[in-house]
Amino acid sequence: MQAQNRTKARTMRERTLGGNLALGAAAGAVLLASAYASASEEGDGLDRWWAPGEGRTFPELLDYDNEHGTLRTLLVGGPLETDGHPFFEPIGPNGRACVTCHQPADGMSLSTASVRAQWDATGGADPLFAAYDGSNCPTLPQGERASHSLLLDRGLIRIERPWPPAQWNGAGVEPDFAIEVVRDPNGCNSGAEYGPEAGVISVYRRPRPIGNMKYLLAVGFDLDPKQGVALPRDPETGVYLSGNLMADNRVSTLRDQMFDAGSTHLGMLDRMSDEDRHRIEAFELSIFVAQQRGGGGEVDDGGATGGPATLRDSEPGELGALGFPVWGEFAAWEEIDEEDRARLTPEEVAFRESVARGARIFRERTFLVSDAAGLTTQMGFGNPFRVACKMCHNMTRMGNDVAPGQVDLGTTTLPFADHFDDLPLFRITCLNDPHPYYGRQILTYDPGFALTTGRCADVGKITLQSMRGLAARAPYFSNGSAQDLHAVVDYYDRRYNIGYSEQEKQDLVNLMSVL
Amino acid sequence: MKKLLTLLAFTAPLSAQAQEAGELVSFVSCPVYRDTDQGRKSGCWLTTDAASGQQWDVSHSPYKPNWDYAIFVEGRVSEEGEDACGAPVLEPVRTSRLLDIDCTRHMIPAEGYPGRFFIAPERYITPLARRPEAPEGPFEERTFYAFFEFDRDFLVYQYSDFIVQQAAYWIEAAQPRRLVVTGYAATDPITVSGVELAESPEIAQARAENVALTLSRLLPGMEIVTRWETGSQPMDLSDADTIPGQSQRRVEIKVEF
Ligand code: HEC
Ligand code: HEC
Repeated sequence: MQAQNRTKARTMRERTLGGNLALGAAAGAVLLASAYASASEEGDGLDRWWAPGEGRTFPELLDYDNEHGTLRTLLVGGPLETDGHPFFEPIGPNGRACVTCHQPADGMSLSTASVRAQWDATGGADPLFAAYDGSNCPTLPQGERASHSLLLDRGLIRIERPWPPAQWNGAGVEPDFAIEVVRDPNGCNSGAEYGPEAGVISVYRRPRPIGNMKYLLAVGFDLDPKQGVALPRDPETGVYLSGNLMADNRVSTLRDQMFDAGSTHLGMLDRMSDEDRHRIEAFELSIFVAQQRGGGGEVDDGGATGGPATLRDSEPGELGALGFPVWGEFAAWEEIDEEDRARLTPEEVAFRESVARGARIFRERTFLVSDAAGLTTQMGFGNPFRVACKMCHNMTRMGNDVAPGQVDLGTTTLPFADHFDDLPLFRITCLNDPHPYYGRQILTYDPGFALTTGRCADVGKITLQSMRGLAARAPYFSNGSAQDLHAVVDYYDRRYNIGYSEQEKQDLVNLMSVL
Repeated sequence: MKKLLTLLAFTAPLSAQAQEAGELVSFVSCPVYRDTDQGRKSGCWLTTDAASGQQWDVSHSPYKPNWDYAIFVEGRVSEEGEDACGAPVLEPVRTSRLLDIDCTRHMIPAEGYPGRFFIAPERYITPLARRPEAPEGPFEERTFYAFFEFDRDFLVYQYSDFIVQQAAYWIEAAQPRRLVVTGYAATDPITVSGVELAESPEIAQARAENVALTLSRLLPGMEIVTRWETGSQPMDLSDADTIPGQSQRRVEIKVEF
C-alpha cells in the first residue's frame, strides 16, 4: 500500500513537471488512474496500433504495457491533436503515415509482435505491408504471407539505396569497391529494375526508434575521432551534424531524413511541404520514450532516475567517461536501504540489485574487441583492445555514441553475422587497399555505411542506435538478428569470446529491459 | 607488394648493452599483445628489436599497433619500470602500422603483469560543452603543427585532433587574415631493420587537405591556402615529443595577419 502511494505521488509530480497541471494530490491520483486505465485498455486491445488518420489525441503521458513492464512516452507541450498532423496522416498515396512504422506502443519503432498482430487483424491488407518496402520485394505475389516474411519474422523494411552513391555530406562520392550479388532470394537485387546493375541495391533494416531525438542529434565534440576530421556542418543552419541518424548515416538531419522517408516509405512523388516538415520535426523533438516500470517496479523509485522524465530534463551529448556514468541512473539500487526493502517484494529487490549489477557490468566488465572497423582501425586504440559495453555505447542516459557511431560489429557481415538464407548476400571487392580485416573480398548482407561513403573500409559499419525503450521493440540490431535481449548478449558473448556467466547475462538483460 | 618480415633468429649477444635512458631507438618488428586487464584500454603492446634482441613496451604510443601488421617503432628509452607490462618502456614512442608487412597475430597472457589503468591523456579534445574561454591577445603571426602516423593523413584521436582543435580556438579569437596550411611527407627513403621506408608523395597533399577541411569546418568562412612539400626534414617541435621522424610527418598551420 505504501509502495503504491509513493509511486502515485511520484508520477503525479511527473505530470506537474511535464505540463501545467497544478493539482492536489487526490485529484492527481484520480487523473493518473484514468490515464493508466485508458492505456491498459489500449494495451490489451487492437488500439495499441495507431492507424494513419485516426485523429486520436496524443496525450502528454502515454503508457503501454510490454512483456517487461510498462513503456512511457512523454510529449512535451502535449496533448497533441493528431487530426491533420503530418506524422499521423497518410500524406502520401499508399495509405501509410510515419506512425505506421514508428508506433508509440513499440518505443516509436515497430516490434514484430505488432507487425504480426496487424497482419492477422487485417489479413495482410494494412498499408504497412505495402509492396514497395513492406514486402520482401514488390515483384512477389503480395497476398501471400511468405512475400512479407522479412517484415513478419524480423521486422525488416526494404531499403533501396542508389548504386553507386553520388554524394554524401555535400561532397562527391566515388566508390572504391565493386559490388556483386551472390544470392538474391527475394528478387530485389537482380533483373531489369533491381540490383547494382540497375542502379539500386536493396537491403533490409529495422525501423529505428524516434524519440529522445535531442540525444541522437547532440554533438559532444567538434572532431570526429573515427574519421580523423572535424564534423561537417549542416549547410542550411551551420550546426554541426552528429552523424548518428540511420543505419548507414545517409542523411544527417531530420529534414533530409523526412524527404527520404516521404519519397520511399510513404510513396510521395512531391517533396513534403515546409509546413509539414516543421510540424513533424517539432513532434520528433518533443517526444521522450523509455521504460517506466519493470521487474523492480517504477524505474525512478528508490533513488533511481530511469524513465523518460529524466531523459526529457537532461542535457544531451555528454560522454559518460567525463561526466554522469552511463546507466548511473540505477546506482542507487546497488545498495537498497531497509525502508525500501520492507516495502518491496523480495523479487523486486532482487531485480533492482540485478539491474544495478547490469549497469556496472555494462561499464566495467571488459572484454577484448578486435576487428571492429571504426574503432580498431585508425583511432589509435589498437587492434585488439579491451573495452566494456559502454566504450561504444558511451553517451550518458542514451547509450548511443557521442561521436558519429559507425562501427562494424559484424552483425551484417560474414563470418560474424548470423546466417540467413532469406537475405540477399553481396560480394564486395575492394579496388584499392583491401579491407583491414576482411581482405580484398567481403561477403555481406548489408554493407551499411559503405553504401553511403562508397569506401570498402566502411563495409559492415552500422550506426549505433538509441538504447532506450528496448523492452518494447524486439527484435534488435539493424537486421533484426537478435530476437530478444538475451540474444543480443549472446551475440556479443560469441563475437568477442567474452565468457559471461549466466548471472552476468541475466543482469545485462534486466538492465536493458528497464531502459 | 606484400613483404614478409623475416625476424632474425634471436642471436643477439647476451651482452647486448642496456640502452641509456633518452636514447632513440627505431626498428621494424611484429607487435605482441599482452592481455592485461585493469579496465578499459589497459592492455600492453610489446615488441622486440631483432637486431638487439631487446623487447620493449611500446604501449604509450598515441597510435597503437594492429596485431596483423608490422610496426615501425620510434621511441626513446624511458626510466619507467618494467612492472606494468614486463619489458623496458619506450616513452615517448610512436608505432606506425605498416600494412604491407604481414604479421601473425600474437597474444600472450598477462602473466601476472597488471598493465596500466587508463588515464585520459593530456591531449584530450575539449567537449563543446566545456569550451575554455577564448584566449586573450595580443595576437601575432604564429605557426601550429599537427603530426601523423607514418604514411597517413588521419588526425589521431587524443593527439593531433587536440592540437588542431586548440589551434582553431586560438585562431578564432585572433581573427587573422588567412591560414596557410602546408602538408609535409617524409619521402626520402630510410632503411630500418632492413626495410626501406619512405612516405608516398601524395600523403603530403592529403595531410594538408585533411587539416584544411577540418579547419574550414571549425572556422567557417576563414580563408585557407593549401600547400604541400615532399622531402620533409626533422624539426625541433614540442608536440613531436622529441621523436625526429614524428616531426617530419607534419602539417604546418601558419596564421597570417
Ligand atoms: C515503412 C516503414 C516506415 C515508415 C512509414 C517511416 N519510417 Fe522512419 N524509419 C524506417 C526505417 C526502416 C528506418 C531505418 C532506416 C535505416 O536505418 O536505413 C527509419 C528511420 C527513421 C529515422 C531515423 C532515426 C534514427 O535514430 O536514426 C527517423 C527520424 C524517421 N525514420 C522518421 C520518419 C518519418 C518522419 C516518417 C514519415 C515521414 C517515417 N519515418 C516513416 C521505417 C519507416
Ligand atoms: C565495439 C563497439 C560496441 C560494443 C563494445 C558494444 N556494442 Fe552494442 N552496438 C554496437 C553497434 C555498432 C550496434 C549497431 C549494430 C546493428 O544494429 O547491427 C550496437 C547495437 C546494440 C544494441 C541494439 C539496439 C537496437 O536498437 O537494436 C544493443 C541492445 C546493444 N548494442 C547492447 C550492447 C551490450 C549489452 C554490449 C556489451 C555486451 C554492447 N552493446 C557492446 C557497438 C558496440
